Amino acid sequence: MPPDTVSTPGGALARQFWAENPIFRQVLGICSALAVTNLMFNTLLMCGGLIWATSMSAVTVSLMRRLIPQRVRMITEVLIIAVYVIMVDIAMRVFFPEIHRVIAAYVGLIVTNCIVMGRLEAYASKNTPFNAFCDGLGSGLGYSLILMAVATVREVLGFGTIMGYPLPARELWWHQWTLMVMPPGAFFVLAGGVWIARWFAMRREAAAAQSPPAPQAAPPQQGGAE
Amino acid sequence: MILMLADTLAKEAAGQNLLAIFFAAAITDNILLTRFLGMCSFLSISSQMRASIGLGLAVIFVTACTGAINAALYWFVLIPLERYGVPASSLQLILFIVVIAAFVQLLEMVIERVSLGLYFALGVFLPLITVNCAILGANLFLINKNLTVFEGFVYSAGAGAGWAVAIILMAGIRIRLKTARIPAALEGPGITLIICGIMALAFIGLSGLIK
Amino acid sequence: MRELQIVLIATAVVCGVCTVLTVLLLLAERFIANYGRCTIDINQGARRLEVRGGSPLLGTLMEEGVFIPSACGGKGSCGECKVKVLAGGGPIAPTEAPLLSDQQRTANLRISCQVKVRNDMAIEVPPELFSVREYQAVVERIVDLTHDIKELRLKLIEPGEIEFTAGQYIQLKAPPYAHNEAVYRAYSVASPPDEKDHLELIIRLVPGGICTTWVFEHLTEGHTVSLNGPYGKFRLSDSDREMVWIAGGSGMAPFWSMVRFMKAHNIARKCTYFFGAVRKRDLFLVDELRQLERELDWFTFVPALSGPAAEDNWSGETGLITEVVDRHIADGSNMEGYLCGSGGMIDAAVKVLLKKGIAEDCIFYDKFT
Repeated sequence: MPPDTVSTPGGALARQFWAENPIFRQVLGICSALAVTNLMFNTLLMCGGLIWATSMSAVTVSLMRRLIPQRVRMITEVLIIAVYVIMVDIAMRVFFPEIHRVIAAYVGLIVTNCIVMGRLEAYASKNTPFNAFCDGLGSGLGYSLILMAVATVREVLGFGTIMGYPLPARELWWHQWTLMVMPPGAFFVLAGGVWIARWFAMRREAAAAQSPPAPQAAPPQQGGAE
Repeated sequence: MILMLADTLAKEAAGQNLLAIFFAAAITDNILLTRFLGMCSFLSISSQMRASIGLGLAVIFVTACTGAINAALYWFVLIPLERYGVPASSLQLILFIVVIAAFVQLLEMVIERVSLGLYFALGVFLPLITVNCAILGANLFLINKNLTVFEGFVYSAGAGAGWAVAIILMAGIRIRLKTARIPAALEGPGITLIICGIMALAFIGLSGLIK
Repeated sequence: MRELQIVLIATAVVCGVCTVLTVLLLLAERFIANYGRCTIDINQGARRLEVRGGSPLLGTLMEEGVFIPSACGGKGSCGECKVKVLAGGGPIAPTEAPLLSDQQRTANLRISCQVKVRNDMAIEVPPELFSVREYQAVVERIVDLTHDIKELRLKLIEPGEIEFTAGQYIQLKAPPYAHNEAVYRAYSVASPPDEKDHLELIIRLVPGGICTTWVFEHLTEGHTVSLNGPYGKFRLSDSDREMVWIAGGSGMAPFWSMVRFMKAHNIARKCTYFFGAVRKRDLFLVDELRQLERELDWFTFVPALSGPAAEDNWSGETGLITEVVDRHIADGSNMEGYLCGSGGMIDAAVKVLLKKGIAEDCIFYDKFT
C-alpha cells in the first residue's frame, strides 16, 4: 500500500478515488450507506451527504490539527463530523422531506462511518487543509462510485427503473427480481463487485510478478540523511 | 414531566409486546444483516471465534445500556425542551455519540478494576465499540420507532443480541470455510459478504413468526 | 430573540451533558483507574523508573525515554514491540495471544503496547534499545563543507554523554517553524564514538526539506537542539576481510567516523574508500583524508568526479563512482562492501560489487530516504 504521505492535492484525490478505493480495497465503511442502495436517488442523496461530511470535516480537522489535544482527539473529530452531518440532515429535511423520513437514521450514521473517521485519523490530522480536502473528496467520490454502481444494479433488477424512470418497454422483457429489493441483494451485489475488482487486481499483480525485479542485496538498513 | 413518566410506566405495565419488540430487533430486523450496521468490525473480527463471542457480548451490554440512557435523555430532556423550539433531532445525534463514548470508556475502567479476567474476555474489545455504528444505529432507530425508555432498553438489547448472534454464527461458518476451496479473489471479505446475504435471507424468512 | 434563546438552550444542553459525563470520567479515572505510582526495573537494576500506573508499557517507557521499536504505533497489530517481562506483567491478554509463539511465551516475551502498568514490574530490553535516549545538545559550530553541505558540531548537555558505534545514526528534531510541524530526521554520526560528549553531523541541503531548510536557514551557533538515538545496524563487521567503502555527498558521515575510530583503536584492516562527487566544489574533507592515507598504510582514499569542470584542474579519477569502483577492484570474493548514499547510487553500486564476486551477505548499506 502506498504510504499516506502523498502530498500533492491531485495525488491525494486520485489515490483515494481509485487506487486505494476504501470499499474494494478494505471493504470498509459500508455500514451506514448500503441500506439505502435499493433506490438510486436515495443513494445519490446519501452520497452527496457523505462527500460533504468527509471533505468538510477533513478541512476542519486539518485546520485545527495543532489545537486538538491528543487525549481527546477522537471524540473531537467525531463531534466535528457530527456538526456537518447535522447540516446535511437539516438540508435534507427541508428539500426532500419524504426521502428524509426514510433515510434519516442512516444520514445520522454517517458520523460513525469508518471511512470518514479513518481518513481524518490517517491523513487530515497530519496534512494541510487543501490536501486534506482533496483526500476527503477523493474518498467520498470513490465511495459514491461504488454505492451508485450497487444501487444501479439493484434498482434496475429490483424495480425496473433508473432514477425512478421506468426502463424502455419493460413490460415486454423485464421481470422483477424481488431479492434485489431486499437487504440480501446488497450483500450479493457488493460481493460480486469485490470479486471482480479483486480478480483484476490479482491478475495485474501476477503480470507484474512475471518480470523479475533487480536483485536485492544485504539486509536492509535504515537511516541516512533526508 | 411527571405525567409523561406516569404514562410511560402505565404503558410498560401493560407489557406492550416486549417479547415481540425483542425478537423483531434480534431476528427479522437484524441490525447487521438487514441494516448493514457494524459491518467494519464484523468483517475483521468474525475470523476469530473467541473474539467474536467477546465482542458480541460487549455489544449486547453496551447497546442495551446506552439505549436506555439515551432514550431517557431524549424523552426527559430533549422532548420537554422542544417546547422552546430546540430541535431534538439535531441535538440527539451529538448527545448520543458523547454518551456512548463516555459510557464505553467508563465501562472499560470499571471492568478492568473489578476483574482482570472479565476485562480480558470483554473489556479489551470495548474501544472497538465506540465507533461501532450498530450501537448508535440502534439508539437512533428506537427514537424513530417512538419507543419508551423501557421498550427502548428491550429493543436495543434485542438489536445487540441480533448483532452478537450474527457475528458468532459467522465466526462459526468461517472456521469451516478454512478448509473449503474458494476462488482466490473471493477469499476474505468477498465470501463473507455472500454468506451474510444468505444469512440475511434466512433471518428474514423468520418474519412470519412475528406479526 | 427567540432564535437566540433556542441557540442558548441547545448549547446549554450539550455543554451540560458533556460536563456531567466529563466529571463522571474524571472521577472514575481518579478513583477507579488510579493505580498509583509503580516502579519499573529495567535489566536487573540498570535503571529504575518511577511512573504513573494505568497506561500501556510501551507508552510509559517511551515517556521515560526508552524507545521500543513499534511499527503500528501501539495498536497491537504488528507485534514488534516485544519486551521481556520478568515480573508484574499479569496474565497474557487475548490481544497479545495471536502475536506470541509458544517459545516466546516461555521466554516471558510480551507485546508491550498491550501490557498495562498496574503494579511494580521488572523487564529486560536489549541493551542497544536501552541506550536509545532523548538528548539535549547545544550547537557548538556550523561549518560550510561545500556550497550545499554543512557540518554541525553539537555538544551534549543533558545527558552529557552518548554511547554508540561508528556507523550508527541519530534522529535530529527540527522544532515547529513557519508552517511546519516538528519533524525528526535521521543523520549518521560523523564523529568517532570515542568522543562521547560531542556529535558531528554532515547535512546536505535538500531543497524543500523541512529539517535541512531549518538547519540551513534558522539554526545558528549557540542554539539548543533535541535529538534521540543511537539507532541502526550499519557498523563494521567482526571479520578481518578487506573492505570497500563507497559514498557520495553526505554519505561521507559514517565513514568519517569509522576511519577515525579505526585509527584510534589501531584496527589495521585493509580498506579502500571511494568517494564520489560531481565537481571539485562538491568535494570536502579531502585534505584530511589524504593525510590519513599517508599515515595509515592500510587505508586508501579514492575521490572521483563524475563531471569535473575545466577550471577544476582535476587530475584524479573521473567517471561515475560505480565505474571507478569497477576499474579498481579485480576480485572481490574475499571482500566486504559498505555503502552510504542515495538509493540510486546504492542500487547501482550493489550491482557492481555483486559482479565483482562480493557475497550478498557481505554488502552492508545505509540508504538515504
